[in-house]
Amino acid sequence: MSRLSNRLIARVFTAFPWLARRAAASVVPMSYETTPWTPLKKPLSECRVSLATTAGVHMRGESPFNMADTTGDPTFRVIPAAATTGEIMITHDYYDHRDADRDVNVVFPLDRLREFAAGGRVGGVASRHYGFMGHILENQIDRFVDREIPRVAAMMKDDGVDVALITPG
Amino acid sequence: MGISIERKFTEQIRPSRAVFLKWPYGHPLGEPGAVRQQRAVMEQAFRLLETATEPGIIVDLPFAWRRQAYE
Repeated sequence: MSRLSNRLIARVFTAFPWLARRAAASVVPMSYETTPWTPLKKPLSECRVSLATTAGVHMRGESPFNMADTTGDPTFRVIPAAATTGEIMITHDYYDHRDADRDVNVVFPLDRLREFAAGGRVGGVASRHYGFMGHILENQIDRFVDREIPRVAAMMKDDGVDVALITPG
Repeated sequence: MGISIERKFTEQIRPSRAVFLKWPYGHPLGEPGAVRQQRAVMEQAFRLLETATEPGIIVDLPFAWRRQAYE
């Protein structure tokens, strides 16, 4: 029942974005005092790009994000570069993803990235991309920041990623 | 490099670079099947990546939701 009500609220927020922004105003998310900075070291046409999204994407057949825990699921799923959009699905009750279900590029633009790489605008598509479920609260935040994010950063480094493009749900 | 649809959160998280769209949740790249729209958002993100010279820039993209023509 609570999953159903979360989905209904998500639909209302998509239909009335001002209502979502009013609700967001009362939320105190994580905050930082400083901004990280890594300059782009070479032309974008030579950069390998990886996608990371909090939109709840994962491969079909893979274990979905845990919706039973109201504090969220801080783990991630890997999307291989060769994945077709038909092989990708979304598990996330906290935003209305009916449009993204029709075309996952709305939240996870893997097809568009492949086109930019084919056209030479970016140097290449990284071998691995990453799905998170962006409803992470309370004690799950520390696990997300201290354990999951460093793992993804290390994997990107192993893959020679120059640019990470991060998208919300 | 981030694409944001909730400016308040982005201001508090302070990513190195972000483009912001005042679009509904669940649509950071736009609408399903709208390839030119999706490309336009990504191109703007890439341009910021190429031009930003200092951390913390959030660029408000001028794209109107469902009322914008894309080349």
